[in-house]
Amino acid sequence: MTAAFAPRANAPGGEPAAQLGLPPPGVPAFTPGLPRRLGSTRHLSHWAPVKRSTPARSAPDRDAPAVATLATTTPEGTRNIVAVLARRTDRFGRPWVRVRLAELPNGTTGWVERAALGGYGTVDTRLDIDLSRLQATLYRAGQPVLHVPVGVGAPGTETPRGEFYVRNKLTRYRSPPYGPVAFGTSARSPTATDWPAGGFVGIHGTDRPDLVPGRVSHGCIRMRNEDILAVARQLPIGTPVTVH
Amino acid sequence: MTPLTIRDVDRDEALGEALSELYGTTRAGFLRTAALGSAAMLATLLRPADAAAQVSDVAILNFGLRFERLQATFYTQAEEMGTIGRMKDAKQEWARTLGAHERAHVKIIERVLGPKAGPRPFFDFGEANETPAAFTRTAVAMEDLTVALLTGITPQVHDRGLISAFAGLLTVEARHAAWARHLVGAVPAPRAFDEARSIDSVRGAVDRTNFIVGKPKTGARRAPRYAG
Repeated sequence: MTAAFAPRANAPGGEPAAQLGLPPPGVPAFTPGLPRRLGSTRHLSHWAPVKRSTPARSAPDRDAPAVATLATTTPEGTRNIVAVLARRTDRFGRPWVRVRLAELPNGTTGWVERAALGGYGTVDTRLDIDLSRLQATLYRAGQPVLHVPVGVGAPGTETPRGEFYVRNKLTRYRSPPYGPVAFGTSARSPTATDWPAGGFVGIHGTDRPDLVPGRVSHGCIRMRNEDILAVARQLPIGTPVTVH
Repeated sequence: MTPLTIRDVDRDEALGEALSELYGTTRAGFLRTAALGSAAMLATLLRPADAAAQVSDVAILNFGLRFERLQATFYTQAEEMGTIGRMKDAKQEWARTLGAHERAHVKIIERVLGPKAGPRPFFDFGEANETPAAFTRTAVAMEDLTVALLTGITPQVHDRGLISAFAGLLTVEARHAAWARHLVGAVPAPRAFDEARSIDSVRGAVDRTNFIVGKPKTGARRAPRYAG
């Protein structure tokens, strides 16, 4: 223990105290560095888990019409999360949060009471899907860190455009068409609404790497398996996804 | 100035509920209305069994880290989400300074512990840092609790260098608490002597605020059913 917390070698000495016949002052085992103010928050995004089923309303008011009802879990059995967009307090002092919803039509947002949500998660990542170039770019703190080719929706089952977020991650399954890792997003295919789990758009690997890049899917974003594994190492849940 | 009580700073009753579980309804009821830091309050908080607890320095450091992470996240989130930005200039200066200090504390304790540092918890502050008023109330209570915690655990540390380091943290946290109290119009130094609280009592109070929660399950081991 003593060795682990040994005083610093260059700690100040105790000459004046020694002259007085007093022991030298205690040397701290550690001293914190200079306090630093928070840097830019421009590239930060927040998300929150849904703690209890709750209506999302068109305004931060209990009397406002509901635009959707938030469930606590996703079809994959994970905790449902929402992207946090804004906050406001109603006339009774109750805090509300404007959130992005995983609902059709894509792009739907709503206001939910803060009390229905859990603690905030923070990410500094952003995933950009360029449908014309068939390329995905992952950004961290505003800087591109990864470019990979993608397969996207075929004509008639196009990948929906808009602002979305990553809401879960599936691993260790045996389903070769989805590769080794799959991410669920808040985007939904408008044409696959009768799909068993609601037609959510995933970002996943593939057993047909020869089709990537290409317009080949039912709306999902496919990556070669080595690429989805590289992305998975750097893509936290809650990351905003822009499809354009 | 009117003495500050737990009831004043605990609108959501998170600390009050924690006290109820920790000390029972009768004592908790008294504690809610007793002046924070008063001799009567501290006498009620002190439990003889706590003094006998023997804890390793690593465990003490990890508990300190857990508490520093809680504070650092509380201030950082409030700043990121804009709560602090909606406060008056003097309060902004106070809140931003405290956030920077708590982050520095987390960084150094993580470095000292290295691989022995416990996992980073997930925090749910609920409405406590959503509005400037709730944020300020909670910060005051949190800083007072930190002073009591460090007063309690510092004498239990075995390593002399660590004791010295904890003393450095304690004096800074005491300044935080006094600054916070001044901003809300409470007496910054309400007493001539600060009694200690044990790790167990502070751990109980912290855990039962429900600020520290399990990380949401956002992953699963099952086959996808996405659109494909």
